[in-house]
Amino acid sequence: MKWRKWNNIIHRDLGYLCFGLTIIYAISGVAVNHIDIWNPSYSIERIQSQLAKPVATEQLGRDTIFEILAELDETGLYKNSFRPDPQTLQIFVEGNTLTVNLTTGNVLQEKVTSRPVLHQMNFLHLNHPKKLWSWFADLYALFLGALAVTGLFVLRGKKGITGRGAWLTTTGILLPLLFLWLYF
Amino acid sequence: MKKIIFALALLIFSNSTTLLAFEGDKFGKPLTLTEPTKISAIEKSPLSFVGKKVLISGTVVEVCSTRGCWLDLASDTAFEKIQVKVTDGVIVFPLSARGRTAYVEGIVEELKLSKKEALDYGRHKAREKGISFDPTTVIGPQTIYRLRALGAVIEK
Repeated sequence: MKWRKWNNIIHRDLGYLCFGLTIIYAISGVAVNHIDIWNPSYSIERIQSQLAKPVATEQLGRDTIFEILAELDETGLYKNSFRPDPQTLQIFVEGNTLTVNLTTGNVLQEKVTSRPVLHQMNFLHLNHPKKLWSWFADLYALFLGALAVTGLFVLRGKKGITGRGAWLTTTGILLPLLFLWLYF
Repeated sequence: MKKIIFALALLIFSNSTTLLAFEGDKFGKPLTLTEPTKISAIEKSPLSFVGKKVLISGTVVEVCSTRGCWLDLASDTAFEKIQVKVTDGVIVFPLSARGRTAYVEGIVEELKLSKKEALDYGRHKAREKGISFDPTTVIGPQTIYRLRALGAVIEK
């Protein structure tokens, strides 16, 4: 039948077209699904350090900040500093935030690095670019819908939508409904 | 004629300085206000600002490390800061914003938390920061004043 031939051509070519973005969405989907237990775009390394001596609060100026950074071998570009409370000093350098307990000399360093590839995948998947990408992602969603519908009619007979396909398709519809019934 | 040229030059100059002040990475809607409100003024009398649109600026001292859905801006008064909240996914603040100057426009909102909600909120924030939470720091219901951001510019 002619319509099935066209159906299969559309299904095949949309499959090729959507491959790249589907892999991106699949990997990023798993990554952002567990956002409560990890940051999918940045790697955060927390290091405890100790200064040789406590820092006198009355001496707190840029010189003291640079002395602290030098003692900790932190060479990143200095951005700014903040005192959240009288005992604490936060120092911001490129890629690192140092929280200094001025009384004890204890320092918590939070080194942040971007996760290569995954950060870019999440950037696209979560639609951070907005603008033209929003329309492109909408088009991709349309293609995915068409891929799903045409997929139903690729095969005829017992393995098609009137046979095994019907059972699998029904299962695929019932599974999200089951979770809705459980959690919604 | 000289007066007109002077007035035009003044206008162009004032516009260019305003634009320059908001250069950087842009998030959400464009900023519409040009006169920043001091964070200390909001903290001093928050109720008079609740529901009002304001523009604030300061150093970004903390960013939500999981979703980028909030940041803290240092106040112009020592040891104080204000939280800026965004709807998850609408605006995502990068962790690299820490230490940079941000201009944020939004609506001041009041968040009233019961003791249980305050405990949950404290636990949630501690988990996001990767630190332990001391429940004894919450002794009762809490009222938090924060900015619901509409748009922001973070200097590079």
